[in-house]
Amino acid sequence: MGKNLSALVAHIAVIVAIIITLGLVSAFAAGASAGQGSDRFTGELEEGATLRILENDTAIKQGYLKELLDAFNAEYAEYGITAVDANMDQYTDLENDGPYGYGPDVLYQANDRIMRYVDGRHIMPLPVDAIDCLDVVGEQAWMAYSAVSDGQTNIFGVPVNIQGPLLYYRKDLLPENWEEEWDDDENGVCDIVEYWTDLYRFSKQRKEESGGTQFGYMRSFLEPYFSVGYLYSYGGYTFGNNNTDPTDIGHSAGNAELGGRVIRQLASIMDERCIDDSVTTGAYSALASGEFFATITTPDVYTMFVDEMKADGYSDEFIAENLVTADIPKLPVSGDLEDESQGFIESKMMGGVNGYAISSYTDYPNAALAFVNFATSYEMISRRNELLGIVPARSDVASDVGGLSEVINANLEEGNIVVMPSIKENAQIWTPLQTFFQDIAKDPYRTPAEYKYDTLEKIKAALQNVDQQIYDAIFTLQ
Amino acid sequence: MKKIKIKPQKLFNVAITYLIILAVCFIFLFPILWLVLASFSKTGSIYSFDGFFPTEFSLDSFIRLFTDTDLYNYPRWFLNTLFIALMSSLIGTTLTILTAYVMSRFRFKSRKTMMKMTLILGMFPSFMTMTAVYLMMTQFNLINQQWGLILIYSAGAPMGYLTQKGFFDTIPSSIDEAARIDGASNFIIFIKITLPLAAPMIVYTLLSSFVWPWSDFILPQLLLKNKDLYTVAVGLMSLDDTEFSRFAAGSVFIAVPIVIFYFALSKFLISGLSAGAVKQ
Amino acid sequence: MENLTKQSAKSKIVGFFSDRGRKISEFFKSLPQRIKTKFAGAKEILYEGNGKVRASMLIMGLGQLMYRQWAKGILYMLVQAAFLAYFILRGASDFIGFFTLGTQESNAWYGIEGDNSVIMMLMGILSIIAIIFYAVIYVSNIKDCYVIQCAADTLKNPKSFKKELAELLNQKFYKTALALPIVGVSVFSILPIIFMILIAFTNYGGNIVPPALVDWVGFDNFGRILTLGQFAPTFFKIFGWNILWAVLSTALNYFAGLGLALLLNKKCVKGKTIWRLFPILAYAVPGFITLIAFKYMFSYGGPINQMITDAGGTAIGFLDIDAKWTARLIGLFANAWLNIPSSMLLATGILSNMNSDLYEAARVDGASAWKQFVKITLPYVLFATMPVLISQFIANFNNFGIFYFLRGGLYMDGYFLASDTDLLINWLYNMSIDNNYYSIGAAISIIIFIVTSVISLAVYVLSPSYKQEETYQ
Repeated sequence: MGKNLSALVAHIAVIVAIIITLGLVSAFAAGASAGQGSDRFTGELEEGATLRILENDTAIKQGYLKELLDAFNAEYAEYGITAVDANMDQYTDLENDGPYGYGPDVLYQANDRIMRYVDGRHIMPLPVDAIDCLDVVGEQAWMAYSAVSDGQTNIFGVPVNIQGPLLYYRKDLLPENWEEEWDDDENGVCDIVEYWTDLYRFSKQRKEESGGTQFGYMRSFLEPYFSVGYLYSYGGYTFGNNNTDPTDIGHSAGNAELGGRVIRQLASIMDERCIDDSVTTGAYSALASGEFFATITTPDVYTMFVDEMKADGYSDEFIAENLVTADIPKLPVSGDLEDESQGFIESKMMGGVNGYAISSYTDYPNAALAFVNFATSYEMISRRNELLGIVPARSDVASDVGGLSEVINANLEEGNIVVMPSIKENAQIWTPLQTFFQDIAKDPYRTPAEYKYDTLEKIKAALQNVDQQIYDAIFTLQ
Repeated sequence: MKKIKIKPQKLFNVAITYLIILAVCFIFLFPILWLVLASFSKTGSIYSFDGFFPTEFSLDSFIRLFTDTDLYNYPRWFLNTLFIALMSSLIGTTLTILTAYVMSRFRFKSRKTMMKMTLILGMFPSFMTMTAVYLMMTQFNLINQQWGLILIYSAGAPMGYLTQKGFFDTIPSSIDEAARIDGASNFIIFIKITLPLAAPMIVYTLLSSFVWPWSDFILPQLLLKNKDLYTVAVGLMSLDDTEFSRFAAGSVFIAVPIVIFYFALSKFLISGLSAGAVKQ
Repeated sequence: MENLTKQSAKSKIVGFFSDRGRKISEFFKSLPQRIKTKFAGAKEILYEGNGKVRASMLIMGLGQLMYRQWAKGILYMLVQAAFLAYFILRGASDFIGFFTLGTQESNAWYGIEGDNSVIMMLMGILSIIAIIFYAVIYVSNIKDCYVIQCAADTLKNPKSFKKELAELLNQKFYKTALALPIVGVSVFSILPIIFMILIAFTNYGGNIVPPALVDWVGFDNFGRILTLGQFAPTFFKIFGWNILWAVLSTALNYFAGLGLALLLNKKCVKGKTIWRLFPILAYAVPGFITLIAFKYMFSYGGPINQMITDAGGTAIGFLDIDAKWTARLIGLFANAWLNIPSSMLLATGILSNMNSDLYEAARVDGASAWKQFVKITLPYVLFATMPVLISQFIANFNNFGIFYFLRGGLYMDGYFLASDTDLLINWLYNMSIDNNYYSIGAAISIIIFIVTSVISLAVYVLSPSYKQEETYQ
């Protein structure tokens, strides 16, 4: 027996020894090999690099990406650097793909998405001196892409365009006598599209006169992106300390409940469709058919409205003349759309800044940086504006293009466009807010006995509850 | 005399039956109907309908679906899905039938444990395990590989062997025993006797294990990063909000292979089931 | 079947648990004996095994080679070599990594490569499985060599390799047939589940996701859930609705499918193939697309509300924030719409399997159609589909898609990060995926899993299809 047992033990001992020693050695080796790395932006272009560029679908559809890639490849052919379409979903998550080698080298996404990658070091901090457009992009846009890491403030992305909501309306549907009846400030622009109080009054009138088949302003409140601005306008905010402190959640701060009441009042001049999102994609044809007089959405969908109006048989000239985009109307100080006695304040709206970032998992950081600089050059940005209708973050292009691009840039710098928080915790704000907006938009359609938000106190309490829910979602389980 | 008395009642019975059938068919058709209508409407928008029907009909959506493939390559997605679903269906069915047969016919240690285990395993929320599946596939280098998906679908298929096992349970073992006396091995019995008897069940399994990869979008979305490799479900989900007509046309067309499948196999599937089995 | 009254069902359940109790105590009583018999075999090999068996103990397959069992010996040696290669190349470090979960944090900004804790955990589990696998093969190798020795001692020819292969197609056919499915299920179903269970004992989630290093935290997550005041009320509220939902939806799908099958089976119905096509259409369009369609249908701007307002009514919020029960009913309906086709197909198949003599007899006895259904059809179909019914119950219990697509994105008052239509699985999703708390989510899913699996296992083990499998064989 002894011999057999020792043979058995010998076998097991050898196997165990192999596993333990090799395992420990490799664990130690991993620790020892790690040293202090060096800055990867050396300024030396990696020859023969192939850059995988993630762009958004619109840029691909309208042919902008192809132009951009062709221009870049021609320019950098001498270094053997080529840029190609990453061929991935536009909302792809670098945190999932990057570490395993499946992510793009350069990505174009919204600031809230890009800045989510900072904590995990999935995107590179950019060398400030090497960014060409540093001086021509406004401070607020850079703010959206900067964060403190390793004890210093770094820039993680280069702004390309600003996403801010605009009012779209049909000029031909204004009352014929608006110059006499609807221009109290006598500035030659109809008050209906300048002041929420007038837009409200006009909408109410239009709805009543048509028996509930035609509307003035119409837009679903479901999406917090377009609804939270009413809270911002009266002192609410998402996160404290310039949207960087997740422990301070302030949708109920200041007089934010006034914003809630504005939403409730606006909901009453629409119909039930403002509660869910069934008018969101329907807005294009509804504006074209004249069912809606005005709506609010982002600048890049202008062509959708044009297409729908063309389908309804309108001529190009008619559309160019009568489909108008304008700045968001002003809100009454009183926070009551039926009371304009106390004057007006500027509306604040949530917005975003889209831009380029460089993946930390790229093998060619310097070539990638060269691409970002190329893609944010004056020529490429103006071309992007021409093809895609975006609002450039470069002030030089914005002022050359003029019009709404200038207005939106100014709005951003003046703080009337509040950039989406760039911190990771921002992912938790949507569901609680969405629930609240749905609830308050529904209120006018409840029976008076069931009203949940007929007083400002009730709205305030509900907003405090929203803040609590966001806080819970962020911290309770951490 | 009697016959004449029964007739009106029978007629009434038939009428009621057809009425219910019509109602059921309407219920099943209605939600798809507006997808179909939207896909054939000229503007492709459900919002420019005149009442329930589109103002103008056209095939534009379908033509665009198959020709305008720069950004949304539907034909490519379709072929990808077809390949993945067919392969998964073939391999998965083989494994499922084998498992069910063995679990029904053999008695061995840990059999009952295995039966209970498979039941329990289904109770785990599948999305919680997705992280692990994804990480594993990155380690096996099976991201962006259609075979990776086929592997997962086929490997998961035997988990649903209970239906097939129930079927094998109804085939009397006297048939096997007769063959065994003639000296046939279990393998031969399975190939020569059980399989032909189970033909209808195989068809049912083929169909159901085809439908899963055909309409799943969670796994392909997780494992296929490259747009060229997308399946129809992922592709449709990636469509822009403004592409409703394409979405509708794509959703309608995706049903075509399964309907063809059904027509080709319906005889097998329905009446075959009884023909194969032996009555109690 | 007929005398299965409530009373007897109750006694059955009680019996089931007391039965279990008895079995468990018996198991423990017999344990020493069992171990003895197990070890008796081992002892025998240790005492009686000759030099050749010893050779196999040292190096796998060596003894077999000495007995001139070439094919088997080489196979065992190859297995040994393969395992050694695996351990040297990565198995060993994977195994140690399972316990450390990484020591070096990576820093992609400076190109410092570090450890990815979750990958280490996954590969660690794989290495443990490999070690177990290796041990099993090692033991089988020794046993095999001893069997050869015994055969040689009694001057019998040991089984030839060919014969053993032939056995794999006959007596041991189940081993051959189950090998692939078991490997597949182990790797793609069980391994991920083990991974998820282990995650519940780490701090993975929130800010601690790779490249940050994850650590083992023991039962902290469970402690946190149990002490969290908001957790229990929401859990029980959702659990109650979840059970109700699973029962109602399973019953509805099942009986509606059966009813539809019976209806289309009627002799007077012509063109069955065409009529069956309509439910098949529902089967053919992917579920998530039809759910999007349903959501639109019942939305304020959808066709149903359009018809209502055109007829002069006011729009109804079928799925909006106040619509607790209408939303639940619509969920039930949508789910039925999606699942009735397949249960109809199955029922059609099973019905055509039935013995029609029974009906003849019943008709002679003058039994009404309803009585025939209750006394003959239903018991038969129930018996044949019990396992399917249970797996449908499980699928419905964990039905994520319905309310995610129909009414996602709501947190209601009185619920902790959930809405009043959410099922446990939706709640789990809100907390773990949406909010990134993987470890807490894993802990909760373990709790849910224990509760649900006990229920469904009890039902399954009690069902005649499990207890009396051989009825029809």
